[in-house]
Order: sequence, then structure tokens, then C-alpha cells
Amino acid sequence: MTRAALALLALAAASPAAPAQPAPVDFGREVLPILSDACFACHGPDAKARKARLRLDDKDSPFDRGVIVPGRADASELVARLTDPDPERVMPPPSVKRKLTPQQIDTLTRWVDQGAKWGTHWAFERPRADAVPKTTTPAATPIDAFVLARLAREGLRASPPADKERLLRRVTFDLTGLPPTPAEIDAFLADTDPKAYEKVVDRLLASPRHGERMAAEWLDVARFADTHGYQMDRYRAVWPYRDWVIAAFNRNLRFDEFVTWQLAGDLLPNPTKEQRLATAFNRLHMQNEEGGVVEEEFRVAYVVDRVNTFGTAFLGMTFECSRCHDHKYDPISMRDFYSLFAFFQNIDESGQTSYFTAATPVPALLLSTDEQDAKLDQLRRAVTAKELLAVKEREAARAAFAAWKRPDKLDVSGLVAAYSFDEMTGNKLPNAADATKPGSAVEGPKLVAGKVGQAAVLTGENGFTFPGVGHFTRDDTFTLSLWVKPTDHAPRAVVVHHSMAPIDAGSRGYEVLLENGRVAVGLHHMWPGNALKVRAKSAVPAGAWSHVTVTYDGSSRAAGVRVYVDGRPVELDVVRDKLTKDITYGGSEPNLALGYRFRDNGFKGGAVDEFRVYDRALTAAEVASGHGLPVPDLFEYFTAVHHEPTRRSADDLRAARKALTAFVNPIPEIMVMDELPEPKPAFVLKRGAYDAHGDRVAADTPKVMPPFPAGAARNRLGLARWLTDPGHPLLARVTVNRAWQLMFGRGLVETADNFGTQGARPTHPELLDWLAREFVSSGWDHKGLLRTIALSATYRQSSRATPELLARDPHNELLARGPAQRLTAEMLRDQALAAGGLLVERLGGPSVRPYQPAGLWEELAMGRPRYDQGRGADLYRRSLYTFWKRTVPPPAMATLDAVDRSNCSVKRQATTTPLQALVLLNDVQFVEAARFVGERMLREGGRTPAEQTAWAFRLLTGRRPTDAERTVLARMFAEQKAAFERDPAAARRLLAVGEKPCDTTLSPTDLAAAAAVANVLMSHDEAVTRR
Amino acid sequence: MGQRVTGMTANQATLPMAGSIFRFARHGQSGATVSELTPFTARVADELCFVKSVHTEHINHDPAITFCQTGHHLAGRPSMGSWLSYGLGSANRNLPAFVVLVSKDRIDQPLYSRLWGNGFLPSVHQGVQFRAGGAPVLYLDTPPGLSTDARRQALDGLAELHRLQAADLGDPEVTARTAQYEMAFRMQTSVPEVADLSREPRRTLDLYGPEAAKPGTFAANCLLARRLAERDVRFVQLYHPGWDHHGGLPTGIRRQCADVDRACYALLTDLKQRGMLDDTLVVWGGEFGRTNYSQGKLTATDYGRDHHPRCFTVWLAGAGVKTGTTFGATDDFGYNVAEHPVSVHDLQATILHLLGIDHERLTFRHQGRYYRLTDVHGEVVRGILA
Repeated sequence: MTRAALALLALAAASPAAPAQPAPVDFGREVLPILSDACFACHGPDAKARKARLRLDDKDSPFDRGVIVPGRADASELVARLTDPDPERVMPPPSVKRKLTPQQIDTLTRWVDQGAKWGTHWAFERPRADAVPKTTTPAATPIDAFVLARLAREGLRASPPADKERLLRRVTFDLTGLPPTPAEIDAFLADTDPKAYEKVVDRLLASPRHGERMAAEWLDVARFADTHGYQMDRYRAVWPYRDWVIAAFNRNLRFDEFVTWQLAGDLLPNPTKEQRLATAFNRLHMQNEEGGVVEEEFRVAYVVDRVNTFGTAFLGMTFECSRCHDHKYDPISMRDFYSLFAFFQNIDESGQTSYFTAATPVPALLLSTDEQDAKLDQLRRAVTAKELLAVKEREAARAAFAAWKRPDKLDVSGLVAAYSFDEMTGNKLPNAADATKPGSAVEGPKLVAGKVGQAAVLTGENGFTFPGVGHFTRDDTFTLSLWVKPTDHAPRAVVVHHSMAPIDAGSRGYEVLLENGRVAVGLHHMWPGNALKVRAKSAVPAGAWSHVTVTYDGSSRAAGVRVYVDGRPVELDVVRDKLTKDITYGGSEPNLALGYRFRDNGFKGGAVDEFRVYDRALTAAEVASGHGLPVPDLFEYFTAVHHEPTRRSADDLRAARKALTAFVNPIPEIMVMDELPEPKPAFVLKRGAYDAHGDRVAADTPKVMPPFPAGAARNRLGLARWLTDPGHPLLARVTVNRAWQLMFGRGLVETADNFGTQGARPTHPELLDWLAREFVSSGWDHKGLLRTIALSATYRQSSRATPELLARDPHNELLARGPAQRLTAEMLRDQALAAGGLLVERLGGPSVRPYQPAGLWEELAMGRPRYDQGRGADLYRRSLYTFWKRTVPPPAMATLDAVDRSNCSVKRQATTTPLQALVLLNDVQFVEAARFVGERMLREGGRTPAEQTAWAFRLLTGRRPTDAERTVLARMFAEQKAAFERDPAAARRLLAVGEKPCDTTLSPTDLAAAAAVANVLMSHDEAVTRR
Repeated sequence: MGQRVTGMTANQATLPMAGSIFRFARHGQSGATVSELTPFTARVADELCFVKSVHTEHINHDPAITFCQTGHHLAGRPSMGSWLSYGLGSANRNLPAFVVLVSKDRIDQPLYSRLWGNGFLPSVHQGVQFRAGGAPVLYLDTPPGLSTDARRQALDGLAELHRLQAADLGDPEVTARTAQYEMAFRMQTSVPEVADLSREPRRTLDLYGPEAAKPGTFAANCLLARRLAERDVRFVQLYHPGWDHHGGLPTGIRRQCADVDRACYALLTDLKQRGMLDDTLVVWGGEFGRTNYSQGKLTATDYGRDHHPRCFTVWLAGAGVKTGTTFGATDDFGYNVAEHPVSVHDLQATILHLLGIDHERLTFRHQGRYYRLTDVHGEVVRGILA
């Protein structure tokens, strides 16, 4: 009874206020956000968390069960439960601490009464083509029509235009990241052409500074940094990607291509180097090198990061929620998540970077210059020519072979080491081929009766090293042979290797393993992406002796490796065949070793005997003859050993290969995507755990979004095609929203990183859709998009707010005034450098190391790396070139709200803290720049201190001071000057701050006073903000 | 499925059990078991609550320490101190709410500034590192040649300009900016004052021992921590690296214990003498334990230990903690938790509880969901509450 009475009361109270025809409630914009925030945690997409088997993200569930009776709020359990006085029955239950407001309850009630019209979340529907509204006050541009229409509804008016000085400063920072110069201000003030402002916007968009400004934003999205981010946090050379971003924005690469190249440049037909370079975007996540990590755990973490970044950057979706469970709010299931995961994992990578080498994580792109490419081409052609010549010489040897007198016994040459394991002197193992290079026993392997005399038995942790033996490069030929007797078929047993470690060194070197008893041979630069590996198709027996011979012909090809067991060649599977750089350590070579390896599975329980090393690839005949087998055709043996022209051509070939290696080795590389021919199997990972495989999934896009295009390849390129389809509901909206955020400090969707049901609703949905559609139909013209926004009257309004407007709309959601934004970390420093005339403008190049308080890296970072501060021009480059060390980011920038670049981030904070004040006031970079502003004001600012300080004020704020301000400024200068006159030594100390020497022709007290004034003016509101 | 063992010993052919070569004895009325390497700590055994059943999910330094500090093993979440700054606010006009102190010269594994980062919380909640030697806080010192008076005059001029600006624009942001500049100016006095340990009386310095006279040692940082707590800094995080004894453990652990033993004793004694221990919580621990088997060769005098996530000990003291107790236990081999398992999230929930915060209610909305330090886990460990 009571419940019914209350419901009636609520209705009675609501009805007089409601107009005769209540405004229709919009499901997507008004109802769904309430359901999502208040109900979905228990009645949403996550099947596991669902209570009472009721889901409110899908209409069937509540409709079928009568929880919602369309048109009858009074009969709908959903509505009744909202106001149920029984704490056991009221929804949401008090325990979840999400109480609905009366307005929200009213919205839901009206919606049910109006028929409970269902729909989808607005962001999953195509942008609507709403007509540009007619407005009573004429609108300068369509943007303004949308904004004015909303203002009219709110009973507000737009603000007058900003004054020219402030507008110029605003737009110059927004589009180039730098302040206007006094000359530019003068020119703009003097230009009475009605198109004066338009000309400025076009000038700014054409400036190369524009690309730098856009890149500074994009680097947050791409989580760009100069180091790997974990543990040692070592250097990664990824700056060429940053330079590509700058260039792409400067030449206004179509935004759909900008996205496609980054996602899938490697999959484009005949991709250019630039298109492949762009895919570094997917590799910029942190990478771990910590010894002992579980490789798969971090490989999965990297792929997850790619998916999350893809979601945030291009779709404004929080996919990360669906890694461990179905999304609680958005219709994104775990299956959706891992179906996207399937797109991003098909590269030959390792979850751990190399600790012992500086190898670029694989797969990598060679960053050769055009000249280097020409040279490389020449060297590769030389190798091919020599290979052909060698074949020709060999074929030409038929006649000589026919005439050759077959020897009774083959003379096997090239033996460089032979260890019989028959005896040891101390821990020395005699070498029958070279007594000066004995082997060394490590951790006491035992000698026992063997295949021939004595043999060594191994524990897996012990074995032998062979100093001075077997330091082969990938261009050398060699042969290894030995008897092995494994006790079992272990998954992995290291028998012989020349390397520092497996994963911790990317397996750099060469190795002979037994994998489930099958002989496996590898030559690796960086496993697995730059490596060569073959494996025998059949196993050697356990518990018995087998003789293994491995030969390698110096070709860097899998086909160049042969394996013989007991003198007979065995069939091999090719595991990897992509070796393009050397297998050595650049001088500090490890010893050839047998039986064990650092952090690896040694030859536990195995026995070895008669280990031999040759510096040439033995032929099949030689190997067979050593086992008393019938000797096959001797032609190969003849040409390799006895035919002078063939031998000469082999030497020439080796020289050509060495020349290529010597040239290619030092050329830097960058991590990129390089799609494997066969996709890796993908699974739902239960609870998100890397090792908890659930159902197998195929590459696919989320069910709630448009279908994957028919006929498109199920790879990243297909994914990019799907994403950049003109009808896609999200990419264009998300992108124009970020552009709006760039210009206004706040997106039309405030949560630029979340367009899901829990994100903010667009303040101007029709405008957002109009901009998105315009953007697509303009050919994804990013400069055009910014131009459109910059030319709107909305953007050009004054940012001044009346107290009433401030109280009504503190965050300027309604756009009744222009934007006022604090400068970013980059802008603040770049402004100081520009104002002081110190800025060195040079596009691109390796990151630089400007001033930083001493000792920061040493105190925290492993291995006590020193921050080698740059000199000269490096101190004065734009801030987007500042070296970004993830574990110790540049402290001034971190203080000024730069993000930490661990994850994709599409929005920075703009806070005001005391630590920021300390940076602007005391950081050497700013103090030195203030000195140069002081110098300029004394020279260029006029004759009197009043004129000079006013000039400096204008330099730093972009506007002329008022009379009242001029008075204060002049007094500030006088005070500082008086102080320095009392203590001239202090003036000299201040002028000595910074590396760039001081102008000695100026009066030190004047200059110090000017610097001291400029120093605090850099902290002035108008200098720190663009208003 | 096998257990997670790091790649450093996963392939080791044998894993020999290695008992400690150090003596342990019972101390205090509580009879707590304490090593001979920490004789000073043994004296305050009755002030401590040992939790011997803490376990973590991570086996490598970076994820494990990030997990301890932020409740999640991947970078990007706010640190515990910044959550507390956000939740409790600042009680001090002149000092940050969250201060970080790192021992000098003890790096084996690195630290990362993200461990005291604000994640998605406003950056005012970032931890501020106080450094030994030079300026205690980055950019604290006025540039050479600018006297405090001259700086004051210049800031007064700036404040006047800001008043004109505010009157013209009506934007409260301008006034807020002036307030932050004033606090910065005050910090220039208050930070050096608090960092100046020479102001401590002789007997206090004696309590902490000779190491406290060397800036940047753990002992000096403990003393500084007390001075900060005394001035209402909400959260002080001390880091003392150097425990990663994969090999040569006996040498390493002697050095590390000598570093921290007396200082911990002194800090607790000092806090107690000043009546501060009642409302100051002290927590001591690491990001994981070490294996009971030797990494590398085991000899009579030497061995190493790999990372061990399945059990380790943390002690707490002070505000609201049931002192003189040992909570939880491992099996006889020190390999698995045998009773009262305490996860890292449980420990975090308990720490927040002791500071007056319900860990489920201290949330921040980010990317459409309410985040908290303990993620979706954590239960207050009632058994260690006084």
C-alpha cells in the first residue's frame, strides 16, 4: 500500500511541472548513461557479475520479464524499485553507494511512460547529418550556428571577440606551440584587411612549427619515450618515429593514412620505408629487460598495451576493462578484447629485451639513409654475383673432376680444435689440434668410460669452455662434431654454444641444442626476429651414443646448415630464416662452451665425447668417410678442397659477405611491426592471465561496432580499413574531439579517452557529428579541421567571464566565452627560450639533454647512468626534443603536468602547484632565459626603464601593459636595480647563471635588474596562460 | 601448472635448501623471533607486529614494487602516498603532503619516480622527493645573486600585477596562482628548516647513531621522517635499496641490516618518547621474499637467494596496530603460507584503515570507472588491529 501511495505521490508531484507535451527522452543520451552508471555493474554486459539474470544493457531481458512495461511506468518493476522504501528491495541497493537523484528517477519514469524506446549508445551509431541550425543572431560559421543555438536554449549570449593581441597569442600557441613575436603582433594589429586573421591562421598552419606542435600532442598518445621503461630503462633509438610524425603533420598527410600507416604500414602493398617506420607506433610501449622475467607474461603485456592504445587513441574506448572480464559498462566482451588482441600479436618478438647486447628489439627496420641503401644494394649484388660465380666455377670443374685421381683416403683439413675427454690436467682439457688452447672444466664435470676412451658426464650446471676457439661470424664457414649420449629426451638441452645467454642476450651467437632429442642449430643476432634456426625431424636415441656433425657454409641462410647423425645427413625443419646482422658481440666475445649456459637448461645427465671444431664446412663425403660409411659422390669434396678456382671463388664470396656485414652491422634499427606469414594462435586469456588459455579466437572487431569489411584481410591492414571507413562511428568523432580539446582545452566530449557509456556525454552532439562528417568528407584534412575551428567566432571570442557566467558555467561547457588555457610544459619552456632569443629551431634528430638538476639519474636508476647534459644548441631546442627517460622523466616537465609516457594518454592535466612556481622561478633554463629577455629589453625595449619593462611585459604576455601595470613594472625594476646597486657582486652572480655567456657591454646592475623582473614576469598569469 | 619461478633459477639443475647461517632468538615479552643481525630492532620487539604471511603475485622487481606502491603491477596508477594526499588532504601550509626519501649509495635494483607518481590523480598529490645534499627539493633554491629580500620584492610586484589582472578578468585562477607562489616562497624557508638535522639535540642524534650524521643514509632519513611527521606531513616513504642478494647473501645482508637496524629502533623510540607513536603508523617491508633454496652454489658460508613471492614478512608499529604480536605463519620450510595469508592488497587495505580510510570508498573516477588503491581486492587484516 505504502509503496503504491508513494509512487502516486511522485507522479502527482511531477505532472504539474511537466508541460503538456513532455520533451521526448533520448535513450542514448539521457537514459543509457543512468543505467550504465547505476545498474550495469550488476545488470550489465559482464555475464559473470550479473545478478538475478537481469541485464539492462539489452532490451529483451527487462521487456520479456515485465521489468519494463513500455508506456506504463506504474506497472514497471524497474521504476517501482527505484523508490522502494524497503532497503532490501530498493535499487540500486544501498551497499553499492550509487543513489539516483530525483531528476534521474524522473528521466527514467518519463522514458518508460513514453514507451521505453530503446536504442544504442550514441557513440556506436553513425554521426548524424543534422542540418546546421538557423539562429536568430547570424552565425559566422556552422560551428557558431550550433553553439549559438545551444546558447539560445540556455538563455545565454556569446561573448564579444577577443582583442587582437590575445587572439593572436592564443592561436599562435594553439597551432605552433610558440608565442607570436612583437613584429608579428605589430603586423597583425596594423593589418586592417578583413582577412587578416585568416591569413595568420594560414601562415601558422604552413609553418614547420605546426608539425612540432602537433607531434608534441601525438607523442603522449603514442606513449613515446627514449627509453624502454623497465629496470635498467635503457636507451631506445625511436626518434626517427617522432620525426616522421612531425613531417606527417607538416605535409598534412590525410589523417586516415596517418592512422593506417601507423597501424599497418608494413602490410601496405610494396610498403615504403616510411610506411614501415610509422608502425613503430605499436612498439613504443614499455619493454622489459629484467633478468628472470617470464617472457610470455611480458609479450602478452605488450600486445595488451597495443590493443589498449588502439582503443584509446582511435576509438575512445576503454578496452583495458575487458582484459580480465567482460566490460562492466560497455558492450565489449572478453572475446571482443582477445579478438582484437589477435590482430596485434603477429610479429616475431620477445617479451624480454636483450640485457647483454644493445640489439634493437625485434622485429626491426634498418634505418639506412638513401646513400646507405645504394651502397647496400651494391654490396648485396656483389654477394649474389659471387655466389653465381662460385656455382659457375663448380660446374666448370666437371672436366677436372673427371681427370682427378681419387685418393684412397680423404684428407680432412681445417681442424682447429679436438678434445678427447680422455684426461684432464687440473681443470685443463688437452686440445690435440692446438696445444696452446686447452679447454677448461667448469664446476667439475666427471670423466668416465666413453665412446672412445674416456668421456665427460654433465649435470646441466657444469661443462667446459674453450677459450680462443670458435669465434665465428655469420660469414665464416665452420663445422662442429661430437658424440652425445642423452639420458632422456628433455624439452631443451644446451650442448654447445658460443653466446652469453639465451633470452638475456637475445641468444646472440651460435648454438647446438637437443630439443626433445632432436638436434637444433641456431645462429642468432637477436632471437627470434633476426635469427636462423633449423631442427632435425627425428630424435637421436636416449641412453645411447650418437655422433653429431653440424656444418655451416657462411651464407646466413637456413639452407646453409647441415646436420649429420652418425655420418648421415638428416632432414631438417626450418624454424627461422631471417639472419641479417652479425652473431658476434663486437669484440668482447664469450667463450665457446659445452654442457651448460647462463639461465638455461644444460645437458643434464648427458655425456659427450670427441668434440671437434673445424674452420670449414666439411662435405658430406668427409663426414661419411669418418664413419667408415660408403663415400657418396666426391664431386662436392673435390671442388671444395682440391679445385683451385672454386676455392678462390669461395674466398671471394666470403670477402663479399664480410664487406656487407661490416657495412650493415653499425646501421641503426628501429622496432617496427612486420607481420608473420602465419598468425599466432590467439585465445581468450582467463582472468587476463598470460598462461590461462580459454577459447581460441580469430581476429575480429567488437560485435557492437560495424562489421569487419567483407573481403578485407583479417590483419592489421584490414583493421585499419575497418577503422577508417567513412561510416565508422568513432575514429572521426574521437579525432575531431581531440582537435577541439587542443583548441579549447576541453573536448566536446570531456572524456576524450572514453566515448563509452561511462564517458561524458557530448555537450554539443550535433556539432560533434557535423565536425566528424566534415572531417571525413574533406578527405581527413587535419589542417583544414583546425582551420575550421580556428576561424569560428566561437574560438575567437574573448575568454573574459562575468561572475554570473563563471558561476553558471565554470568549465565553459556551453562555449559562451573563448578558451583560456594554461600553457603546456613544452610551451612554457619554449616560450622562455623564444622570448630570450635563445631558441634553436632545427627540425628533428636525436633527442637532446638540456639542463637538469645534477644527480637525478644516478640516485634512482640502475647502473648509475650519468645524465650527460648537452652543450650549446642542445640546451635551447624545442622541448619535444628533450630526452625522455621513463623512470626519471625530465623533472621540470613532469612538474608542469607532462604525462609519464607509460601508457597512451590523450589528455593532460593543467594544475597550479607550488612546485611549478619553483620551476618557473628557479630552474636554470628559465633564469638564463630571463637574463636574455633582460638583455633584449635593455637593447630593444626603448630608452627608459618604464618603456623597457613594458616591452618585456609585452614580449612575455603578448599584450601591452595597462597604465597601472606600467607603474608597477617600473617600480619593480627600480627596486631590483637598487638591490643590485647595493650589492654589485650579487648582480654578477645572477648573470653567471646558465652556460651562454653574458653581454658584458651592458651595465651589470641594469642587466641583473632586468633579468630579475623578467624572471618573475615569466610567472605572470598572462605569460603562463593563453587567454 | 607449475609454480612461477623466475628465469634466473627456473633452469637451475638443483635447488639446494639453504638454512640461514645466522642465529635467531626470542626477544621481549612477546617472544618475537629476531635475527642476530638486528640487535637494536630486537630491543623494540614488543612495539612491533610481525606479519609473516604476506604474499604477492609478482616475481620480478619492477612489477612487484609497482604493485606494492600502486596496487597494480603495470605503470600508470597513483601511488599509496598520493592516494593518501588525495584522501586526507594536506595538514600543512608549508610542506607537501607526501614526501619521499631515498637512501644514497645503495642502488642495486633501480627506483622509478612513478613509484611516487600521482597516476591519474591531480598532480598536486605527487610525492615530492627530498634529496640529500644541495637543495632538498628540486628547484628550491633562489638563483645565485637574488637575495630573499629582492625575490620577495619581485614577488610582491607580481602579486600586484596579478591583482590588477584578476580585477580585469575575474578569473579565480589568477588568485589561485598567487597563492601557490606564496606557498612556494614559504617552502623555500620551511623545507631547508625541516631538512636541517643539525638542529636536533645531541641525545636525539646519539639515539640514531653516527650514521645519522651523514646526509642521505637510512638513519638520517629516519630522523628526517620523524621531523616531517612532526610537522604534519601526511605520508613519508623511505626507500632503502640493496637487498637483491642472488649471490653473496651473507655479506650483503650483514651490510643491509647494519644500515637499517639501529635507525628503525631509533625512529620507534624517538616517536614513542614524543608521544607520536600513537598516531603515527610505521610500516617496514619489501616487495617480495627470497627463496629458501640457494640460487647458485651453496657452501657453508655462502649462498644466494632468488625472488620468492609466496611468503615474506612485513612489520608494522604504532597507530592502531596490535603490537608485540606475530601474525600469520609459513610452513616449516618458509616456502608457503601456512596460516592467515595476507595479500599486498590486504596490507594496503589495512594501512588505509589504520589511517582512517575505508579502502573501498577512497575512489577516483577515471576512464569511466571508479579506481582505488586496492583495485577490486583487499580485506582489512582485523587480526593485527589493536
